[in-house]
Amino acid sequence: MSEAVLTKHSAPFARRDSAKGRVDGDRSFLARFVIALLGLAFAVTFLFSLTAGASDASVVSVIGTLFQAGNSGTDALSARDSIIIYDIRLPRVILGSLIGASLAVSGAVMQGLFRNPLADPGIVGVSSGAGLGALSIIVLGNSLFAPIIAFLGLYALPFAAFSTALAFTLILYAIATRRGQTSIATMLLAGIALGAMATAYMGVLTYIADDRQLRDLTFWLLGSLAGASWMKIAATTPFIVIALLVSPFLARGLNGLALGEATASHLGIPVQRFKIIAIIAVAAATGASVAVSGVIGFVGVVVPHLLRLVIGPDHRYLLPASALLGASLLLLADAVSRTIVAPAELPIGIVTAAVGAPVFLWILLRKRGILDL
Amino acid sequence: MIHVSDLSVHLGKSQIVHNASFDALAGEITVIVGPNGSGKTTLMRALSGDLPYSGTVSINGHSLNHLKLWQMAEMRAILPQSTSLAFPFTVREIVKLGLTSGRSLGTAKNVEHLPDEALEMVDLAGFGGRFYQELSGGEQQRVQLARVLCQVWQPVLDNQPRFLFLDEPVSSLDIKHQLIIMEIAQSFAKRGGGVVAILHDLNLTSMYADRVVVIHKGHVDCAGTPHEVLTDERILRVYECALKVGVLPAGQMPFVLPQSAAI
Repeated sequence: MSEAVLTKHSAPFARRDSAKGRVDGDRSFLARFVIALLGLAFAVTFLFSLTAGASDASVVSVIGTLFQAGNSGTDALSARDSIIIYDIRLPRVILGSLIGASLAVSGAVMQGLFRNPLADPGIVGVSSGAGLGALSIIVLGNSLFAPIIAFLGLYALPFAAFSTALAFTLILYAIATRRGQTSIATMLLAGIALGAMATAYMGVLTYIADDRQLRDLTFWLLGSLAGASWMKIAATTPFIVIALLVSPFLARGLNGLALGEATASHLGIPVQRFKIIAIIAVAAATGASVAVSGVIGFVGVVVPHLLRLVIGPDHRYLLPASALLGASLLLLADAVSRTIVAPAELPIGIVTAAVGAPVFLWILLRKRGILDL
Repeated sequence: MIHVSDLSVHLGKSQIVHNASFDALAGEITVIVGPNGSGKTTLMRALSGDLPYSGTVSINGHSLNHLKLWQMAEMRAILPQSTSLAFPFTVREIVKLGLTSGRSLGTAKNVEHLPDEALEMVDLAGFGGRFYQELSGGEQQRVQLARVLCQVWQPVLDNQPRFLFLDEPVSSLDIKHQLIIMEIAQSFAKRGGGVVAILHDLNLTSMYADRVVVIHKGHVDCAGTPHEVLTDERILRVYECALKVGVLPAGQMPFVLPQSAAI
């Protein structure tokens, strides 16, 4: 044996298996293929979503409206379709895409940061913070917070949700950071405590709410894309797009972090700066999403999870794939929520949970072996 | 070379390393030995730039305090005692992470084959497609070594030696793979790089170390060749164990030394 040991490794660089072909364990080709496929699926879903709704603006007329917008006019029906498409469905579909992408990418980033496949943006206090802000406006809007409503009008609610979400995240960050080092474990635990506090205050607000307010806050907590407008898109896009653009630069850090913080820094990754950027990006994107659409669950946990089973956890591919799949799935869920009880509308949070949870369980049962890893 | 002088490290309120001074030269394997809790790993974490310290630590003349993380990542790679992995990566994906820090061989084309070569070196050829978490502890340790080797593939870069820091690299390995890993370290040193390793096995230490640094209660007890360092008196004092160097067991009791592999 000694001969084998010594001869083999006295010149370890000399020999190399030159046989080319299938490379075991390299999923990058598969991942690129899946991303291309998801891009196509997103495009199809986007067009499909424009055609689905309470009104029967058909596929043909939608495409006609999209491509002949300039020289339309005379036909009353197509004018009505044009309004439905441009002022109702298009903003809603764009907003849905942005929010779906932002929820899924935020989930993937949080899971990488916390090294836990079950983490989601709620953990950094965003959801509970946003919920508290939103409920305060809904319940106390015509009493304590009347001046804010007077000043911001319709935007008071998104504004309150967003600013409390960001405030919660910053408080958590301050609690978890000692001598320039942010402890992810402390942040997780403090997040649970702060979340419980927020839930208690939300309970008080729910208790004192009147019937109409109860209805409003329930709908908000269930999540909805109804009421999407170009103004809302303008208000949320900067935060979401910045977070989506930052995410590719987080990929290497998240991959390194999978090996632990020490090893990540040994690989040359500036871990502390990286954590700050990731947390702020997620807080901004999720805060903006939750502020306009309410709490839409399930997307942030399940989309990255599903994709990890297919293309693996390499964040260079996981993040863009999550963005595309998250956007597509939310559009599909919204299409269902708009049509299933038409002309009324189901809150989209109900759809994502009702469809997503069983799918999630099914994946768990089938892939228990891999998930245990 | 790695130059350590008057190094002190505190963890919380207690001082773990006291005024340590030694050098680790390129072209050599420097082995740090000492009993459990003597401060070996803390010392190595300070050398790795993980802990604040007082005193001087420099790599190739650059003080650690003045180096950026990516600059350190180009000069040295670190094999931790143990690594927990968060997600189901394949072995190849783990090893490739070693290529992400700076300059191994330049272009993507040039480094494409490194993971395979590294895996073959650690006797894991063909393991690229396996899930990391499916492997045994010893196999995982060797995967991590392959990753670390990818990070500092050439022992010398721009005429500057690079370093391998190995924290108990053979702790969960069988004897064959212990020897393979130590041979890899020796080859790295022979080709101009430097190796700093923490070992518990005094026989392996005597076989491969060019220089031994004995840590006792946070102090450098002594530094020198295995010959100078491994004495009955020192082993008794440091390990509190009355062992005799070079004494065979009585009667017919079988014993196996790693040295016999090289004979």
